[in-house]
Amino acid sequence: MVSQAIQPKRNRIIQWLAADTMEGIRRQRALLGYLFIAPSIIGLLVFIIGPMIATFGLSFYKWNVFRPPEFVNFENFSRLFSDPRVFTAFRNTFLLVVMTVVMLEIIALALALSVHRLASRPLSYFFRTSYFLPVLLSGAAVAVTLGYMFHRDFGVINYYLGLLGIPKISWLTDSNVVLWSVSLTTVWRNLGFTFIIYLGGVSSLPTEILEAAQVDGAYGWRRLKSVVLPLLSPTILFATVTDIIKMLQFFDEPFIMTRGGPGDASRTVVMLMYENAFGNLAFGYGSAIALVLFAVILLVTGIQFALSRRWVFYS
Amino acid sequence: MSTKISRREMLKLTAASAVAMSTGLVSSTKIFAAPPGQETITLRFQENEQYYADVVEAFKQQFPNVNIEYVTVTGIDHAEVASKILAQLAAGTPVDIGYAATEATQLYAGEGLALPLTQRVLDSKEELAEYFADVSPVLTETMMYEGDLYQLPRDFNAANMYFNTELLAKAGLEMPPAEWTKDDFVEYARAMTGIDGSYGYGWTNRLWGSWTPWFFVNNTNFLVEERAPGGEWMWETFYADDPKAQGRGGGWRWPAPQANNPEMLEALEFVVSLTRDGLTPEVGMGTGETLTGFFTSGKLGMTPAGGFWSGNLYNQGMPKDAFDVQFWPAWKSQRHQLGVGAAWILNGSQHEDEAWEFVKFTCKKEIMEICGLFNPVTLTTPVRRSMNNEARYSVTGPANWQVFYATLDERPDTGPIPAPVFSIEMTDIYTRFTGLAVNGDMTPQEALDGMQAELEALYARQ
Amino acid sequence: MTTTSTIRTAMRSTTWLNRLFRALPRRPGEWLRLLFLFVIAILTLMPLVWVVSTSLRQPIESFSVPPEWIPVDMDFSNYNEVFERIPFWSQMTNSFIITIAVVAGQIVTASLAGYAFARLRFPGRNFLFWLVLATMMIPGQATIIPVFILISRGLGINDTLWALIIPSLSTAFGIFLLRQYFLQIPGDFEEAAMIDGANQWQIFRQIYFPLASPGLAILAVLTFNAKWNDYFTPLVFMNTKDRFPITLGIVDLKGYMATGSISVVLAGIVLSTIPVIIIYIFGQRYLIEGLMMGGIKG
Repeated sequence: MVSQAIQPKRNRIIQWLAADTMEGIRRQRALLGYLFIAPSIIGLLVFIIGPMIATFGLSFYKWNVFRPPEFVNFENFSRLFSDPRVFTAFRNTFLLVVMTVVMLEIIALALALSVHRLASRPLSYFFRTSYFLPVLLSGAAVAVTLGYMFHRDFGVINYYLGLLGIPKISWLTDSNVVLWSVSLTTVWRNLGFTFIIYLGGVSSLPTEILEAAQVDGAYGWRRLKSVVLPLLSPTILFATVTDIIKMLQFFDEPFIMTRGGPGDASRTVVMLMYENAFGNLAFGYGSAIALVLFAVILLVTGIQFALSRRWVFYS
Repeated sequence: MSTKISRREMLKLTAASAVAMSTGLVSSTKIFAAPPGQETITLRFQENEQYYADVVEAFKQQFPNVNIEYVTVTGIDHAEVASKILAQLAAGTPVDIGYAATEATQLYAGEGLALPLTQRVLDSKEELAEYFADVSPVLTETMMYEGDLYQLPRDFNAANMYFNTELLAKAGLEMPPAEWTKDDFVEYARAMTGIDGSYGYGWTNRLWGSWTPWFFVNNTNFLVEERAPGGEWMWETFYADDPKAQGRGGGWRWPAPQANNPEMLEALEFVVSLTRDGLTPEVGMGTGETLTGFFTSGKLGMTPAGGFWSGNLYNQGMPKDAFDVQFWPAWKSQRHQLGVGAAWILNGSQHEDEAWEFVKFTCKKEIMEICGLFNPVTLTTPVRRSMNNEARYSVTGPANWQVFYATLDERPDTGPIPAPVFSIEMTDIYTRFTGLAVNGDMTPQEALDGMQAELEALYARQ
Repeated sequence: MTTTSTIRTAMRSTTWLNRLFRALPRRPGEWLRLLFLFVIAILTLMPLVWVVSTSLRQPIESFSVPPEWIPVDMDFSNYNEVFERIPFWSQMTNSFIITIAVVAGQIVTASLAGYAFARLRFPGRNFLFWLVLATMMIPGQATIIPVFILISRGLGINDTLWALIIPSLSTAFGIFLLRQYFLQIPGDFEEAAMIDGANQWQIFRQIYFPLASPGLAILAVLTFNAKWNDYFTPLVFMNTKDRFPITLGIVDLKGYMATGSISVVLAGIVLSTIPVIIIYIFGQRYLIEGLMMGGIKG
């Protein structure tokens, strides 16, 4: 509050802004706010929102790039709502996100709690590094490797299951199994990241509270349920939201592994949109799918945040 | 305390990356700079420099004022390649010379993107006579659309049957004769199954070389095939003496779907029975790289592939006598399916004339011989009959290399995979229902009925 | 000389053994926990071991079953081929330049905007934040054509590295993430700093920015990972091989009509992943310490 007052007052605007009053500081902070968000907002407007509006505008047109767009009103949307493949793709996406996120959160949290309690530093280093390594691989590597490993007749997984007496599983061509294969691949690839986030959360739990709980006689599951999980709930919310957002966009690996097959059993909404736009040259229809996806995600995120107010515990 | 250390570390990291950035900027100004404006003419050419460096070098010696700028497309499927080409088109910066295989030939021709070459070909009659005399009319016809020629064929691949000769020997069999049949094939597949975990016959679910060869030899197709009128200019000018050019037209048309006809059903039931009887391993979706791996590792006795496999198997270290090739087995006919690839010229390019000179140049025999796709090994089959010779395949194999071109010369009813303007969406429908039949979710009849229904809806939308 | 060193080695190994022994669990529950950790570690590492061992094998043996986890004769020819087939070093350099520029840019833009949305009051703040959140959900494939038109016609930077940097400098996700961090830092710091005479910029730069370092670390890792592995955008934006990032180079290794050898592709993947692993190994301490220091409160 001191330094501002000494500066020479050059013009009215500066004077208005630099006034050494609560009002002046409030104005300064508002201006600073606009300055701070300007780079981001300009970038987002130009490279995401603008193109997005263009895309959404296209959903009322028929366009294959070669010929000028032709206005078709709601034709793309009426096709969309009568297309059973769209429903399947939404169902698959929903199932994939739920399966993947549930597996990810449970396994990662269990790993974090276990690694945190390890006494040996080298061991904990070893585990931390092993779990994180797949995060560093590219989608191409994952697709080639797991595509081979999941092969029914030549893959490693069925080979070892076979040694245990388990009959061959058609990981990539059985409609009832393929979502699990895709989900497991995604879990494998992202586990390390979620794990690190939980490890950070677990490590920063206040030890006094944990010890107090121990004195009170809370052990094992009970302590986990009544003390650890509530304390971790902000971390859980954060990791879950991050993972859901990632899952909705990270579909390279399943795309390369199964091409959405067999039939439509592993086709997601983003894949359907991509195939319609670039494969079938139906850019208008692809845009309509993107628009509906956008609306659904917005709804889901809203619900998630509304629900989180009930169960997330802030100390 | 720890806050301070990690903050200092962070600053260091930031500083280090800033230095790395700026040195990167200085040393790599070239990669940041937009391509410089040329005094000479620049042709944007959709190809991989790896294969065309020598060709372009030779071209520049003859045409020093023409510069070739590569537009490298690394997409792994047609949708990816299309996404790039279309984005450039939408931005008003398309390539001057593109590349398309049969899958996209009619798309670019039908949408007016590719320049019809008919008049230019006729104007260069003397120059091109030697070329067409060396190229089967089967290939030329595939590159025509509604009477006009759009591309000068460069490479082709017909689906022949590849054999792992080591498995063949272990099964106590010899290479079959050219006239072998579907029933002989089943015997071969059975004999080569179960040798150290091997399967007699493997394939990948896609359009080319999938189960497509089976309905071709069963004399049918999932789309009605017919010849467009026109094209006499081509056959009379360049193929007047060639009896195999008799009865050809102005390119292929696929006016309607017929996926659930009895011959299609018979072919699909046959293919599904191979899987059911354990002669074929799991059929995946894909581009074929696992198929190559399984074949070279001795897991597959037979598989569909074309001349492009000779150089690729060699590159993977497969000895030249470890594999061989034969015609596709005969059923109701021995008609093969093929795909042809070539350059096309942008309709409305500012440099149509130079682009045409370049395309003609790349079709000369001595130039094709130095193209990286055909030299040092055969990565795809050259369209010139005279280039399919003993010397070409002596290092890489296969021993029976004559089959590649004989598929055109001795089986002149060989035709292209179905690829109308909307071939990508069509392929999606085809592979989707194929997958559902092969994995047993649907009976062959149900799958073909479903395929037919969706194809009809697709035709109705056009 | 030899005896002393032998003794020393022996001593070192006994203390090492001792330490390991002491670290061994005593109760059955702990053994179970250790077993669980090892099982997951093996499952995570197995595919990676296969990648490395296949990249060291002759292509024709790439799919041997049962898999040989450790190649008997190391064959480095696949690695040589990577260097012959693609301009590996320039493509790696491109990837590094693009990734580092984008990570640095996103940290700057997202921390400024995240701070503003969390701690500064200005008219329209809620609406603008909602706008930012909305952009988070758009898949890149949906907007690629308009963006390409913009960078090629509007900015004229297609086929340059700028095309892969500039559109990625702002990030909705990063703003969302860092806003959460800034929200959780108590407001008392600010009042104390103001009493000390710090101006608004100093408050941000010297107090809030460092306190948000766990969030910055997470953002950096996520952005690095996403940008390093980005394949679709460069595919559409870049034409010249020397300007490609390494992800496109790897696809190039698949060869004409994707009939190339898987072993060579895997060799390329191993080569391109090594630098990233080195960065991770050295950066791991800071990443984890950063996360622990702040604790994550979403």
